[in-house]
Formats: sequence, C-alpha cells, structure tokens
Amino acid sequence: MKDALLTFPTTDPSGLPVEFVGKRGALFWLALKTGFLTIITLGFYRFWMKTRLRRWFWSAIRPGGHPMEYVGDPWEKLLGFFIAVVILTFYIGIINLVLMFVSFSVFSSASIGYLASFAGIIPVWFYARYRARRYVLARTRWRGVRFGLEKGAWGYAGRAMLHWTLTILTIGLLWPRMTFFLEKYITDRTYFGSARLHQGGHWTMLYRAAIPFILSLLILGAGAAWMFWWDPLVVSSDITIEGITRSFDEMMDGGAPAFPVVGIERLVVFPFGLAGLLYGAIHYRFVSKRLMANQKTSQGITLSSQLSGPRVVSIYVFGSFIAYLFLVLGIFCLGLLAVVNLGPSVVMGIETDQYGARFDLPRAIWLVLLAGIYLTVFLMWNVLYSTFVTFPLMRHMAKTLSLPERYGLQVVSQRDRDTFAEAEGFAEALDLGAAI
Amino acid sequence: MSIGFDGFGSAYFDGDRPVSEEVSLHIANQNLQIGLDDGDTLFWPLKDIRVLPDMAGKQGFVLRLTTDRLARLFVTDGSLIAQLPNATRHAPPKGRGKLALWALAAVAAVAVQILVLVPLLADRLAVFIPPSGERALGEATFEQIRQALVETGVDPLAVCENPDGVGALSQMTAALSAGDDAPKDLSVFVLDHEMVNAFALPGGYVVLFRGLIDQAETPDEVAAVLAHEIGHVVSRDPTRHALRSAGSIGVLGLLFGDFAGGTVVLFLTERLISAKYSQQAETDADTFAYARLEGANVSPAALGSMFERLREKHGDGNQLVSHFLSHPSLSERIENARTAADPSRDFTPVLNDAQWSALKAICD
Repeated sequence: MKDALLTFPTTDPSGLPVEFVGKRGALFWLALKTGFLTIITLGFYRFWMKTRLRRWFWSAIRPGGHPMEYVGDPWEKLLGFFIAVVILTFYIGIINLVLMFVSFSVFSSASIGYLASFAGIIPVWFYARYRARRYVLARTRWRGVRFGLEKGAWGYAGRAMLHWTLTILTIGLLWPRMTFFLEKYITDRTYFGSARLHQGGHWTMLYRAAIPFILSLLILGAGAAWMFWWDPLVVSSDITIEGITRSFDEMMDGGAPAFPVVGIERLVVFPFGLAGLLYGAIHYRFVSKRLMANQKTSQGITLSSQLSGPRVVSIYVFGSFIAYLFLVLGIFCLGLLAVVNLGPSVVMGIETDQYGARFDLPRAIWLVLLAGIYLTVFLMWNVLYSTFVTFPLMRHMAKTLSLPERYGLQVVSQRDRDTFAEAEGFAEALDLGAAI
Repeated sequence: MSIGFDGFGSAYFDGDRPVSEEVSLHIANQNLQIGLDDGDTLFWPLKDIRVLPDMAGKQGFVLRLTTDRLARLFVTDGSLIAQLPNATRHAPPKGRGKLALWALAAVAAVAVQILVLVPLLADRLAVFIPPSGERALGEATFEQIRQALVETGVDPLAVCENPDGVGALSQMTAALSAGDDAPKDLSVFVLDHEMVNAFALPGGYVVLFRGLIDQAETPDEVAAVLAHEIGHVVSRDPTRHALRSAGSIGVLGLLFGDFAGGTVVLFLTERLISAKYSQQAETDADTFAYARLEGANVSPAALGSMFERLREKHGDGNQLVSHFLSHPSLSERIENARTAADPSRDFTPVLNDAQWSALKAICD
C-alpha cells in the first residue's frame, strides 16, 4: 500500500484532519441563482437546487484533502417525488376527510380532527426521515467509495415513536436516552464501503451535553419560587389577573403600580433564564453529536470531534439574526404596502360570500407585484440562511473533525449501489427535507 | 505530440478501495495517460472525460470517465481542464419514459383525489353529520368570524338585536321558509359591520351584514339575498365545503411543500378549485332563491336589482380576478334573475313600510 496518509503515523493524536475549502461568496451566488430558478419554475427546480447545493457542500468537505462527492441526481429526486405523491395522496386526502368527519360528528369540533390527522402522519414522518438519510448516504462517496445505510425505516419509525412516548411520559428526563438510541440505530447500520460503523458509549454520557439546559431550568425554577413564594413580588392578599394587567399598564406609563411591589428588578432573571434555555437547547443538539461522534468506530477507524458548543450557538444566533432581520423587515414592508394599496379587509383574509368580483385591474397588478415581493423576501431568507447559518456550521463541524485511526481504510472495498426508486420523495412531499 | 501536467497532489482512486495512488499525467493521441506507481498506465479518451460540477473552491478538480461509474481522478493542475472538449457536457437523463409515466400518474392521482374522490366523499358524508355536530361547528365558526372582523377592542363584533328589527327579520325568514323542503332550524343574524355581504355557515346559520341592509332599496332585495343563503343551507354547502377543504388542502400541501412561495400557491390553487366547484353551488342557490321568492309572492328580479346595485358600486370585476372568487359573473346573474321573474304576475313587497323601517334600524 502506497497511501502515506493511511499508514503514517498510525497513532498521531491529532489524526487525519478534515479540511473545508469553499468560500462564502461562491455559495451565496449559487444559492441565489438556484433559488431564483426555483421560484420562476414554481418550485420544480428545487430538486436541482438541492442537488447542486449538496454537491457544493460535499465537495467543500475534504477529509485528508480529498473531497467528498455527492452523486445524487435531480431527475431521480423528481421521479421519487412523483412516486411519493401518488402513494401519499390517497392516504392524506381520504384520511384527513374521514378524520374531519368523525371530529365533526362525534366531537362537534374541528380541532380534534386536525390533531388526529397530525398524529397520523408522525410515523410516516419518521419513516421518511430514515429513508432520506439512507438516500443521502447511498449517494455520498469519498475517495471513490460509497457510503450506505441498511434498510430499516419502519424499525426506526417504531423505535422513534416508542422513545418519544417514553420521553414525554418522563417529562423529558429520558431525552438523552432517545437521542442516543435513535442515533445508534442509524450509526450501527451505516457503512463506508465494506466497513460497518459502530456506535459505542452509553446513553448517560449525553447528560453532560444537557448541563446548560438543566442549569437554565433550575435558574428559572428557583427564580419563580423566589419571586412568587419565598419573597413575593406583589405584597397583597387578593391578586387577580385584572389587577396584574392594570398595574403593568400603569408601570408602562411610568406611574406607580396599583399593588405594592417589592424588588421589581428581580424580574430580569426570567429573560436571562429563557435565553439560557435557548442556548442550552442548541448546545445539547450539537454537543451530543460531538460526544457520539467520538464514540463512532469501525475496524481500524476512529473519529474525533472538537466541536465547540459556544461557537455553534454564536453561529446560530448571529446567522439567524441576519436572516430573520431580513425576513421581518421584508414582511413588514409587504404588510405596509398591502394595507396601503388594497385596504385592511383584504389583508385580514376573511372568507365571506362575496357578491361578485371586488378588484379592478390596477389592484390585480398590485397583487402580482406583492406576490413578487413576497417571493423575493423568502428567496433572500433562504439564501441568507444558507450563507450565514448552514455554511459556517458545516465549516465548523468539518474543521473540528478528524480521523485519529484510519489504517482500517486500507482493507475497505466498494459496496453495491443502493437503487432507490423513490429517492427522498417522501421527505420532500412531507416537507421535512429542509434545504440540505 | 504529448503535453505533460503537474501531477503533484493528484490522486487516482480505482473505485474499489479508498486508497489513493500517485499519478503522472500526460495527454497524447486524444487520450489522458494516467501513469500509476506500479508501472501501469490508464488511457482515458479525452472526449469521455467529465469534470464534476459545482465544486467548491479552486484547489483541485475531480474527473470521471463516462464509461466507468466509479473511478475518480483528483487533479490539482487546472490547465488540464482546458484540454477536455466535453468537460461539462451533461448526460441525457435516463429513464425519461418512466419519469413521464410517474409524472402523469402523480397529476392524475391528485386530480382524481381533488376533483372526484374528495368532493364525492364530502357530499356523501356531509349528510351523515348529526345536526348537533353541524350546529356546534357553525357556532364555533360564527364566533371566530365575529372575533376576526372586529377592528378595535376585544369584544366580538356586535349582533344587531333591536326587537322590532328582529321581528321584521323573522317574518321575512318565515315567509321564505314556508313549505316542506324548508330547513327547520334557521338562525338568521345581522352583524353590525359596513360590509355589503352575507354568508351561510354549517348548522343553519345565515348571517347578513348591516352594510347589505343599508345598501338595499326595498325589503325584497334583502329577502332575495336571504333566500339565496337559505339555498346554501338547504343543500348543506357550508358543511360540504368544510369537509372538502380538509381533504384537498392536505393533498395540495404535498405538491407545493418545500419551497418559498408554497403557501401562496397552495392558497390560490385551493381557491381556484373550490371556486370551480362552488360556481355550481351558487347557481343552484340562485335557482332555489327564485322559487322561494315566488312562493313568498316576491319578484325574483329583486336578486337582480341587488346585484345591479353592487355592480354600480364595484364594477363587474375583470375575468381573471373573478375566476379566483367563488361566484359566476354579476352580469350573468342579473340577467338570470330578470328572466326568472314572470312579467305577467303581480308581486307584493315582502314587508310593509313600517316593518322595512324597523329592519333598517335593526342595529340602532
């Protein structure tokens, strides 16, 4: 074997590094171009957009200097989407209608029907998620060798339902157990060529990732106990909702509250606690990935991740801020334009029995214009999100990953092609294949 | 003549093992000659070499051969690309027949579902919904609409309850719903809002807006609109509509899901489909109204006069826009109402002058 990267040195602690080469500007233009084409083709180009963005990201990630390759084909995605539509149409249309009927006739309300139809789609949702993962892995190559995921989507859906039930029953205490076993189910069925991956470790190790979240919860709980129990904010015997809203209004106007209030500045604990919860949630999601990545092995191959929780959270906060700022500003302008030009009743969108058409031609033109602005706003939101969230996130995850042990790669050989008629069609039809 | 390239950092992967082989690169005789360490040389015809598209970064390209799905050549020397005549040519998509077939199947499945199965099932099932369920649904929707229409404050939009006006309204309702096939539990309300409009809800709810009564010049015109809405109640249009949209929204959501303008396209399409379907329902309700009005000895032409007043105010609207709304064009309906009235018959107003003034003052 002549491949020096795989043989020397076998015990280098830093390992074979993963590089990330793409430039943000290039991605911005690619996302803008493909997003625009998606809009003017009424969404059909999205299969190409997805394929091209994945190709770009995959080729930017280069373990040991050699790019990953995404070989998925937009045409097979389109075909898969059609297949999924044919299968799901009957399920969703008829089931929804029947559920709505039962909900009307037995419970005299519409909301139970909506709830039931949502619950009915959950197993299909997990099924679709696994199938999509299998498709993406089957179309990913590195050094010319395919990745792969074994069949087992219904097994995944069943376990996911079970774990979710357990998690809900234990009010979230067993969440790390769910994260671990669902990820283990997938990892243990993942291959690189002929090499099978193995998820080691124990589910309790993930509690470490949840520490910021748990701390924030404790702070919030203690704060609430402090302000409503030990040393109440409001010193009064009869507290009513009305009284509270009135005192709040008065304080907003700069006046004295109707109730005697002690230490109002302590309320600051709550915004801090809530921000902590948000931090904790993102921290858990990514640090648990890191902890599990460090325990993923195959014969003669190990992974090591140095991912930083605070760094990921700052990427999220900064990137989402930019993307959402644009979205909020855009929607605000859109709303303003709509109210000014069409009048408030149109915007409220109440369905009434209108006697004849109310719009004249200039209004129709306005509608087209507004639709154009609406689409532009969402296009820009997607582009900015790819550029300022997905890009730095992928880059950070790639750059912090390495392969300390990789001599096992020398005995890996190619695996068969996983033909996949429906590609990720189910995930596409059910809207869970968001962007990448 | 042969051209040599810088092979430093380049690597060949045979498509079986993830092991890189160092290479020397030459072009001669329209072939790329890939010299491997063990002395073997691979010949790749230049016309069959493609560059992988959408590569990030400028550090290196990946080449593949159209006749070998797996082997890859990673090159760092960009000048090699210029020598490849078909570097970016796409292969024609495979299995186009199959794709077309499934595309057709998908369109057909959605069309059959939305245009045939869902309406059919909705119409069948609507009959089996018990009156109490329908009533509760209508009541909930009525409250939602009252909440939604209010512009200031928190209280829902007021229902007009001037006793004399309510009396006049119930007399009008009674006149229109005499006979066997008339609905038993009608609840007619007037909402204090300037909109010139009226609608029917499941469970026999009929709602008129104050604006409509203000706009009418004779009580017959109000009666005509009321009769039209009763027509919707009798044929259970609101209930059927609620069931139908529950079925078709989900199906359409599959089509326009994961894409920026999805929600808007979804809304417009639903609108278009339900409009196509309900134009028939509107025409039926008009026909029902003519018969009811004649039964109450009121001229069906009153419906036409009401529409005419609307046309004066808003115009007929252009064809494109009216396509998205659920009603046939106004001019057509005015014409139909005129022809429905028997010119030889002697009609009387549905309310006397005192009752009419009471109805006009129902919101005071």
